[in-house]
Amino acid sequence: MQNKTFRNLFMLPYALWIIIFVIAPILLVVYFSFFDINGNFSLTNYKNFFTATYLQMTLNSFWYAFLITVISLLIAYPTAYILTRTKHKQLWLLLIIVPSWINLLLKAYAFIGIFGTHGAANRFLEWAGIGSRQLLFTDFSFVFVAVYIFIPFMILPIFNALDKLNPSLLYAASDLGASKWTTFRRVIFPLTLDGVKSGCQVVFIPALSLFMLTRLIAGNRVITLGTAIEQQFLVTQNWGMGATIAVFLIIIMVGFMALTSIRRRGV
Amino acid sequence: MAKKPIIQFNHVMKQFDDDAPVLDHVSFEIEKGKFYTLLGPSGCGKTTILRLIAGFTEATSGDILFEGKKINHVPANKRPINTVFQDYALFPHLNVYENVAFGLRIKKVKKADMDAKVKEALSFVNLKGYENREIAGMSGGQKQRVAIARAIVNEPAIILLDEPLSALDLKLRYQMQYELRELQRRLGITFIFVTHDQEEALAMSDEIFVLNKGKIQQSGTPNDIYDEPINRFVADFIGESNIIRATMIKDFLVEFAGKQFECVDQGMDPNEAVEIVIRPEDMEITSVEQGSILVTVQAQLFRGVHYEITCMDDAQNTWLVQSTKKVNIGEKIGLRFTPEDIHVMRLNESEEDFDRRLDAYGEDENNAK
Repeated sequence: MQNKTFRNLFMLPYALWIIIFVIAPILLVVYFSFFDINGNFSLTNYKNFFTATYLQMTLNSFWYAFLITVISLLIAYPTAYILTRTKHKQLWLLLIIVPSWINLLLKAYAFIGIFGTHGAANRFLEWAGIGSRQLLFTDFSFVFVAVYIFIPFMILPIFNALDKLNPSLLYAASDLGASKWTTFRRVIFPLTLDGVKSGCQVVFIPALSLFMLTRLIAGNRVITLGTAIEQQFLVTQNWGMGATIAVFLIIIMVGFMALTSIRRRGV
Repeated sequence: MAKKPIIQFNHVMKQFDDDAPVLDHVSFEIEKGKFYTLLGPSGCGKTTILRLIAGFTEATSGDILFEGKKINHVPANKRPINTVFQDYALFPHLNVYENVAFGLRIKKVKKADMDAKVKEALSFVNLKGYENREIAGMSGGQKQRVAIARAIVNEPAIILLDEPLSALDLKLRYQMQYELRELQRRLGITFIFVTHDQEEALAMSDEIFVLNKGKIQQSGTPNDIYDEPINRFVADFIGESNIIRATMIKDFLVEFAGKQFECVDQGMDPNEAVEIVIRPEDMEITSVEQGSILVTVQAQLFRGVHYEITCMDDAQNTWLVQSTKKVNIGEKIGLRFTPEDIHVMRLNESEEDFDRRLDAYGEDENNAK
């Protein structure tokens, strides 16, 4: 009996934390989404969301988040694979992760410098004979910088999954006649799928609501749901619409989580 | 020896960096259809030999031949050899059927043939009806059987078994020993079995290679190796034994524990320093008057089947005796053995010399008859 009381007592701080910082904000967001700009209770925000502008924005967000996730995955998987086979793999991993400790804003400004009209990238292009061009404020620079920022988060879970892989399984596959590619396709990849899934989660979900980069790097040419929320709250002061977009964002994220965490099998 | 060996090692060396070689000029031949065992303590190089045959690692020098053709650089997936791994190495994301069918799928076997083959392989290892089970839910013994089924379904020329029974409990291990031996007889596939368990080796093998420190110490049938160990290591490693320093006075006469005994060995130099082996079960406890040697009982352990008695003679040699008779500690008893029970070993004799000497007096005996 006493044990149970104690346990509940210890649970209290965590329960409070979750109520105050997770459940209450979500409820507030949902609550605000039902008020129009004049503070009247209505469903106009939801009606507005299903207009071409916002649906286009949702599609945009999806598309960029998808691009960023896929490109990160394509770069991160081989990198993680090579890392597990190097001698000082923990050191290499650390070196790859270190940039993620630097403030996001700082990195964004650094890229503005690099991609600017007289930046390092353009000077290189000129030197190479291709000639300078507009790099900043393009889709390319947006995706490039986003991928750069998210890659460590994709590498980590994949690296861990590859590192945990029992090497005798690879010998067994080879022993049974599998070529290197077949071994990858039939054994390595399926067994590291969980790592890939969590990597995609930690990249796709934040990428969906990216807003600072869209302004700094993409020059507001790319309008995602994240940008829209920011605009609604800070510029238009339409909290109701901002909250409505947030509600949809939350629904999409939950949906994505559910999709990527379908049952896992034993080790 | 007319049969062509299926696997042949010619002076194979394996060395990592500048460490002492893992395998030191190992040469042997393996004949088709037999059950071979590589036996030795951990670190003796037995698993390295297996990995070389499987193709998971390459020899530093020397040739490895498969049916007369050099296969040093043939990758593992191109060799008609399958392995049963110590940790089974079953694919956790696949069910039993898919694990067994893994090799067949790579060979693009037709669905109907595959079903039949998987079914047959599973029935060989007594796992009928387990096709749709997940690996995670199986016991050690069942995983073991799946691993064996996964190897035999490919109909390889050789199956390599890397201490496959070491993770099983004693009872299951005994049962699997029978099953493996039986399976090998039925299939007629060459089995190469690696173990550090000498009982397992003696029970299952047609032929045993005893390894130590990267060298083959002795090869032969279980009987040969048990009855005529070539040196102290083999005698000590295979079964319990009493190894005593002795002097070979002349052919058929050896001196130890301060007495001279008749024996059946010959071909040594007169008064050569040797070691003799007498197996604990070959000695009989008798009265002081009837004993070949006199000893004092030091300790006694009840082992179930027999008592294990440790004694010491007057020359301070320790003797281990197995007997169904109980004795008293401190008691003086006699130990009786016959000339056939004494096996004389020369110090540092190579296997070739040993065989030559045995062959030489084998002929003598035949001539005498």
